[in-house]
Amino acid sequence: MTNRYKAITAGWKARLKALSRAWYRFSRNPLHVVGLVVLLLISLAAGLAPYITPYPEHAGPYTNFREAGLPPSKAHWFGTDRVGRDVFTRVIFGYRFSLLLGIVVLALSTPPGVILGLIAGYYSGTWIETVIMRVTDIFLAVPPLVLALAVAAMLTPNLFNAMLAISISWWPWYSRLIYGMTLSLREQYFVRELELTGASKPHILLREILPNCLGPLLTKLTLDMGFAILMGATLSFVGLGAQPPTPCLGTMVAEGAKRLPSEWWSTIFPALAIVVVILAFNLVGDGLRDVFAEEEV
Amino acid sequence: MSDAILTVENLKKYFPTRRGTVKAVDGVSFFTMPEETLGLVGESGSGKTTVAHCIAGIYAPTDGKIVFKGTCISQDFRKRPKELKHEIRIVFQDPGSSLNPKKTIGQILAVPLKVHQITSKRERLSRIIRLLEMVELSEDYVFKYPQALSGGEKQMVAIARALATNPSYIILDEPTSALDVSVQAKIINLLMRLQQEMSLTYLFITHDLSLMRNVANRVAIMYLGKICEIAPTVEFFQRPCHPYTKMLLSAIPVVSEEEKLLKPEKIIPRGEIPSPVNVPLGCSFHLRCPEAREFCSYLDPEVVQLNAGHTVRCHLFTSKS
Amino acid sequence: MEKKTESLVHVQGLSVGFRVFEGLLKVLQELSLQIRPGERVGLVGETRCGKTTTMKSILRVLPQPPAVLFGGEVLYRGKDVLKMSRRAIYQLRRSSIAAIFQDPLQALNPVFTVGTQLTDIVRDWAAGTGKKMSRKEIFQRCVEALAQTGMPDPERIMTCYPIQLSGGMRQRVCIAAALVRPIELLLADEPTTNLDVTIQDQILRKLDELVEERGMSILLITHSLGVVMDRTERVYIMYAGSIVEEGQTKEIFANPLHPYTKGLLKSAPRLTGEGISQGIPGRVPSYLDPPSGCRFHPRCEFSMPICQKERPPLLTMEESHQVACFLYQG
Repeated sequence: MTNRYKAITAGWKARLKALSRAWYRFSRNPLHVVGLVVLLLISLAAGLAPYITPYPEHAGPYTNFREAGLPPSKAHWFGTDRVGRDVFTRVIFGYRFSLLLGIVVLALSTPPGVILGLIAGYYSGTWIETVIMRVTDIFLAVPPLVLALAVAAMLTPNLFNAMLAISISWWPWYSRLIYGMTLSLREQYFVRELELTGASKPHILLREILPNCLGPLLTKLTLDMGFAILMGATLSFVGLGAQPPTPCLGTMVAEGAKRLPSEWWSTIFPALAIVVVILAFNLVGDGLRDVFAEEEV
Repeated sequence: MSDAILTVENLKKYFPTRRGTVKAVDGVSFFTMPEETLGLVGESGSGKTTVAHCIAGIYAPTDGKIVFKGTCISQDFRKRPKELKHEIRIVFQDPGSSLNPKKTIGQILAVPLKVHQITSKRERLSRIIRLLEMVELSEDYVFKYPQALSGGEKQMVAIARALATNPSYIILDEPTSALDVSVQAKIINLLMRLQQEMSLTYLFITHDLSLMRNVANRVAIMYLGKICEIAPTVEFFQRPCHPYTKMLLSAIPVVSEEEKLLKPEKIIPRGEIPSPVNVPLGCSFHLRCPEAREFCSYLDPEVVQLNAGHTVRCHLFTSKS
Repeated sequence: MEKKTESLVHVQGLSVGFRVFEGLLKVLQELSLQIRPGERVGLVGETRCGKTTTMKSILRVLPQPPAVLFGGEVLYRGKDVLKMSRRAIYQLRRSSIAAIFQDPLQALNPVFTVGTQLTDIVRDWAAGTGKKMSRKEIFQRCVEALAQTGMPDPERIMTCYPIQLSGGMRQRVCIAAALVRPIELLLADEPTTNLDVTIQDQILRKLDELVEERGMSILLITHSLGVVMDRTERVYIMYAGSIVEEGQTKEIFANPLHPYTKGLLKSAPRLTGEGISQGIPGRVPSYLDPPSGCRFHPRCEFSMPICQKERPPLLTMEESHQVACFLYQG
């Protein structure tokens, strides 16, 4: 009995040590920590939006033309837009939708991409690989934005369909990434050994090979959040994303752009918001890359 | 040999590549008796690893037969029955890549137990601890990751993993080549002890002839896909017949004067080992052989039995010369 | 060649460590060794004993950080390598000291031909000495160096990429890269461990010939006792960052004194077939928290109380045979 207890405590100690080493690597560059803090703040703000914004009702259908077009002031930190809504509130709510969009897109596109990549890499040399990778190539050949625009234009423009459109153009990148990693991992002796032992293919792919891909995968996921948000904003900018009155950062930039440079606040602040969140994701992604980098003594 | 545990008959494994067909194994025949250690020696390109991989089931042979305990097993792992997979096990050369770095030792050892349903879920941890005991590792290794282990310890885990399914035949592909000599000693002793305790048969592959001298019961030496000579160990080292055997033995670095006397006369090795894509015609060794005759360049020698258990493939020993 | 008694390389009291996440690794402990002109010296030790760190210190290629120099000096012909100006050390690396490593495929650039890489080295060296060499002269010099390593058809090899060559040939290219300059010292870190026995024999034999012809010195770093026995005159045995025994190779192998050396020799499989010993019990110590006093004491069957408290100094026994062990102190 004591054997098992010793073994299990040793296991937890090792896990704790691994976590603290990961943090050490992540925080060696203070910018990474800045990015992480910013992300946490944004997520918190977006989550608690209805409770912390000064004018939560401005996120919906609200008009007050007497207060329209006001510059930034103590009452309205980011000013008001052309129909009188508080820009600051709408930016925070806009973050909500942006983050939601990012998460949904990645949740939709990553699993199929990863699984197809695993299968294609493992069955390298057979028709399975050829079929999967050529389909991947076809999707990759179309510029992602164009593909997303095409799909979004075919469907009724709303936030959900925008997410669908982006997901369709997103999965092949994961497929490629995991495919490449699986190809090289497959040659390792431990995979051979598992095959010889008789382990099942799902076990080998999901529980042995996939954990080895987590490093680049997590890094890419983090960086992609930023790009997904950007693409969502772009779609909204051209009117194919969330429709008014839903606060979406891209739409806000588009509407406010017509009023530059006089009412600069209704464009600049949403645009800055997009920049900040993407930058934060990039910094965190960079930090994750440092965490997973192989270090030599 | 009817009571041999494993018989290989005229095994061939060719790999078609863009540059030509690589004849990795080109007509290899041997047998292994139960509970013996057969040593397989050769330099790069000799095909010894390919032979081992064919027996293990990584490749299906291009031609020839492999018979294990009376059953023909000349297929790769995809077509082999599950029962076979726990009888024949392999320990690989590179401890670094033979353990999944993202899994704990316990998880690694649990896989063969799960696949072959050797224990119930509850008893699994105890069985893993017992396997680690067999290779002299304490129970706190169960939750360690391979990075925390030294090269020798990793190999011991690989051996424990091979033993997990109660096998009868273990292929050891250069198990200690990547390790220091003091660690190697520990592992070899462990392997010998386990062989006794669990009645195991070993196919031991190495390029280190001094190690082979102390480990194998019989030794087979390969060159470019063919076996040059097979003999019981003492005979192999004291009365080597094939010129390649003599060349290899004379090149071993030894540590003491008395060992120097045991080596055959110094034959300066000539030339490079040809690539298995360009196997020379006739006897594949003739370009480097100090005793090559004219017909060696176009006639492939046949296997000749010299005396009990000692066979050679060389024109010097056929009746023609 | 008449051997001068003054040394080419004199490492004195070198102490080096590495700063890592877990703390400070105290690796080399007041290491001292000497190499004389025209001498073949062996440095024997198992993995992680610090032999590569020592070699890198001689070349001054240890990146600091994470390496930390605690003390000591590395004298090359009397001048301290560690304190030299950058220009001086570059000059040293260009024309006096060269190194070859265990994996020639990693040492050679895969995207350039052998010829390009060798001629680059020659040009760099020539620039350092202020010489002007024509393209033809440079090419000729490279071909000669390749031929000297026993490479067949050197002119064709010049046009090959490293990946087209066998392991033995790549190592020969690396040796040629060292020979194109008039080097005095060759540092060889496990040069033949990855090679087949027959090729290993050929290459080591060639190195011996070169030592004779050029009066070059070689520091042969390896964990293979057999290689050291044949190919060196003197040998240093290293354990966990310090020299535990040194002396004439034949003497050390015939009469090992330090318990570690004895254990090592006993572990080596013998052609006489007497079986293999149990090896050395225990594990190589961690450099984060190394054992106090003599670092070998936890694994030593002759360990005495003083071994835990103090580090044994190197004691001269006879005929330049030195050992660091309290068993031999008065």
